[in-house]
Amino acid sequence: MKPARVIAASLALLGSAGASAADLALDIRDAAGRPIADAVAYAQPAGEAPPARAGTRAVIDQVNKTFVPRVTIVQSGTQVFFPNSDNIRHSIYSFSPAKTFTTKLYSGREAAPVLFDKTGLVVLGCNIHDNMVAWVFIVDTPWFARSGTDGLVTLKALPDGEYTITTSAPAGGFKSREMRVLVDGSAASPVRIPVALEAGS
Amino acid sequence: MRIQRLQTRIIVLFVALLALVQVAAFWFVNATNSRNAETRVAEELNVGQRVFARLLEQNAEKLKLSARVLASDFAFREAIATHDTGTIGSALANHGARIGAEAMVFVDLEGKVVSDTLSPRGASRAFEYPALLKADRNAANASMEVLDERAFQLVAVPVMAPLPIGWVVMGFAVDDRLASDLRQLTELEVSFMLDGQPGRRVLASTLDLREQQSLLADMPWGASSATRQIMNIGGVDHQALVITLDDNDHARIVAVLHRSLGDAMASSERLRNMLFFLAAISLAMSILGSIAVARNITRPLEELATVAARIEKGDYTAPVSLKRADEIGVLASSLNHMRGGIADREKRILKLAYEDPLTDLANRSRFSNELEQAITQAALGDLRLTILMMDLDRFKYVNDTLGHGVGDHVLREVSVRLQRTVTGAECIARLGGDEFAILVRHANDDSSETARRIIAALEAPILYEGQPLDVGTSIGIAHYPEHGRDAQTLVRNADIAMYAAKRNKTGFATYDQHYDTSQQEHLSLLSELRRAVERHELRLHYQPKVSLRSSHVSAVEALIRWEHPTRGLVPPAQFIPFAEHTGYIKVLTRWVIREAVRQCGEWLRSGLALQVSVNISARDLMNRELPELVAELLAQHDVTPGLLCLEITESGFMEDPAHAQKVLDRLDELGVKLSIDDYGTGYSSLSYIMKLPVQELKIDRSFISRMATDEEISTIVQSTIDLGHNLGLQVVAEGVEDAASWELLRTLGCDDAQGFFMSRPLDPQALAKWIRVNHGSFRADSKATPSVAGTA
Repeated sequence: MKPARVIAASLALLGSAGASAADLALDIRDAAGRPIADAVAYAQPAGEAPPARAGTRAVIDQVNKTFVPRVTIVQSGTQVFFPNSDNIRHSIYSFSPAKTFTTKLYSGREAAPVLFDKTGLVVLGCNIHDNMVAWVFIVDTPWFARSGTDGLVTLKALPDGEYTITTSAPAGGFKSREMRVLVDGSAASPVRIPVALEAGS
Repeated sequence: MRIQRLQTRIIVLFVALLALVQVAAFWFVNATNSRNAETRVAEELNVGQRVFARLLEQNAEKLKLSARVLASDFAFREAIATHDTGTIGSALANHGARIGAEAMVFVDLEGKVVSDTLSPRGASRAFEYPALLKADRNAANASMEVLDERAFQLVAVPVMAPLPIGWVVMGFAVDDRLASDLRQLTELEVSFMLDGQPGRRVLASTLDLREQQSLLADMPWGASSATRQIMNIGGVDHQALVITLDDNDHARIVAVLHRSLGDAMASSERLRNMLFFLAAISLAMSILGSIAVARNITRPLEELATVAARIEKGDYTAPVSLKRADEIGVLASSLNHMRGGIADREKRILKLAYEDPLTDLANRSRFSNELEQAITQAALGDLRLTILMMDLDRFKYVNDTLGHGVGDHVLREVSVRLQRTVTGAECIARLGGDEFAILVRHANDDSSETARRIIAALEAPILYEGQPLDVGTSIGIAHYPEHGRDAQTLVRNADIAMYAAKRNKTGFATYDQHYDTSQQEHLSLLSELRRAVERHELRLHYQPKVSLRSSHVSAVEALIRWEHPTRGLVPPAQFIPFAEHTGYIKVLTRWVIREAVRQCGEWLRSGLALQVSVNISARDLMNRELPELVAELLAQHDVTPGLLCLEITESGFMEDPAHAQKVLDRLDELGVKLSIDDYGTGYSSLSYIMKLPVQELKIDRSFISRMATDEEISTIVQSTIDLGHNLGLQVVAEGVEDAASWELLRTLGCDDAQGFFMSRPLDPQALAKWIRVNHGSFRADSKATPSVAGTA
């Protein structure tokens, strides 16, 4: 994975004084201006980010021989559950350094949850079904989100402060884009920032 | 050169036609074959190209499949994920060995070679053909590339985990095995060649090294892909298909599929050889066949030609033995008919040429041929031959008085009798007119006997419509070799003998040297006889005719004498017949008549009235001027016509009685006395004589001389005298040589007599003296007086 290009952006996000948090909306589009779905964005505070709360969970279902959702973003320390909604069995694996694992063939809820405890990008596949692919972003911050089909990612309740916001999408080969953002709660909300991502094939 | 022989012509035509057809067929088949061969090779190349493409495709599929299998192997992926290079390398080697892929490379996402079976230590280099590396596993392409200076059919398949984490690159080496596999499938020679950095070279080939060099040298590198070329490889023409497998900036890999045209032609060459062989055999057979056909035609033709040549030579005996149903058979049968026709016609012509159509006897030509042949043979065999020549007496008389029909009848009858009589004759021929000839081959000493038999056979009268005809003959005989050694001489001598026989009234005569001498003398005689008249060598002697009753001499017979200056006295027998023969008798007769009339006139003026008899010949009787001549002479010498008597022999007027009659009638009118001389020697019809204006009949001396001793003869003489008297004729006996005859004749009542007993012929002076001495009469009793005879 290429190192994310860091875009030094000095944004003064206007926020209301006295307010402790602000929502940040990112409008992620490709070069052609089309919204990119399944893009992820997360905000890394300049200081220490609060760790994930114990018992934090995520679910990546397998429906109709696809991972649902296709892209998942979690904070490290999150247990991810892989329920199998298909009536066939799957065997999920990952050779990604952030989390290498493999499950036996299973169906239903037989699979044990997998704890993602290192940041990075994990590519999930199914040993049985080559076409199944899913990505899991493991970040070290609780402020993250995934875009829907409208390409909008909303990072909610960002406390005032300086953040590095990283956006990435599988469509762009997970080339990430970073920008610095200063969150000021007194600013009018929500703040909406357009982000152009390279959307490679 | 023009071919003359039919047989050769037929053969040449046949063979030339067949050869033409063969050459055409050969050319056509050959052309078709080589075209076929080229087409076949082209098709083979097309098929080969397809098979080749298919094989490469299959190999690519195989590689792809295998690579995919490897790429999706979990353990392999795990090894990759864990960067376990050793495991990766062994997995690659292991997997490659399974399908025989020599090149097994793993390339990471960065395009770096992680592991490479070809050069295990050559890792970490950038993979040479990044274009092959595609994320889409289904887009995996096979391509020919050079790796480690060798060509490989490479396939790169991404390793997905599940997203690409690298590429498995697998490759089959393009090596001799591939080439030979291809050859097995396509039966084409296959070579892979590289035009790249180290130079152009052959990567793999089914050819041997030498051929590879040749191929390399002849390789049309500029040719575009999938074009057919004719290449010379190792000295043999090949049709080749160049297929570009890879063409990039660095290198170009081509596959050359080729096939030797020679190999492809080999089958057609075999076919051509077979065809050639067949052509040769059929040509040979056609030659034999056409020879047979030609022979079948020409052999009978030759046979016909032989027959025709035989016919040309006059041999008609052998018929054409050819029995065929075809045109030649027709020709043969026509030839056969022609042969028969010619034979018949020739027979007829020969018959006409060599046979007398009237009597069916041989003619003169045939007789001459036969005689010549016989002489040739006789000369070889020392044999003798005899020829008899004969002619008929009084034939002309028969012919003229009774017509040619009768004459022909006589000739036919004579020929029949001859054939019946002369049995051993080689050839009996009618030479013409009433002339016959007989050739007797064997030495026949009895030729006289034969002649007698012939005469006897002809003695019996020939009957014509119940009327008897008398025909006599004279025969001359000549023998080979003593009477002549060639045909001409023999015939002439026989002729001479025949005339002698006729002259001598002997019926037949064998040739005698004496005749021949006289014959030879004849020629000189003619000129001498002419001279004799001019030089007055001729004399007339006169023999008195004495009356048997009165013994008075009132008449004489003038007889010609020739006082030849060297020969002396030539007897009339030696020149009269000759003169008759040559026609000179006319001159002689004229001279005799003139002399006799002159003498008669002379005597008359001297007071001696003597009737003078003159012999005239048959030829003189033909002379119409004779009466005028006589009248003129009588007038000239003032002689009474009654003092001239003309004596004619029986044969004289028998030769042409009608004409003789006219002349005689005319003479009779003149008042000249006419007498029949030598009566009894011929066979003249008495009834005819009766019509003649004759006054006198002279009995031939042959009767008179034998009369005294032969009773029979004397009877004949008696009856002849009586007959003459009954006809009112004066009868004269000739050849009275003794007193007995004289007396007998007187007793028999004969009128006059003439002969040595009274007087031999005397010259005019001697006669005048004789008459004076005897006083105009003869006395038999005084005959003994030698003075009389002595003075004659």
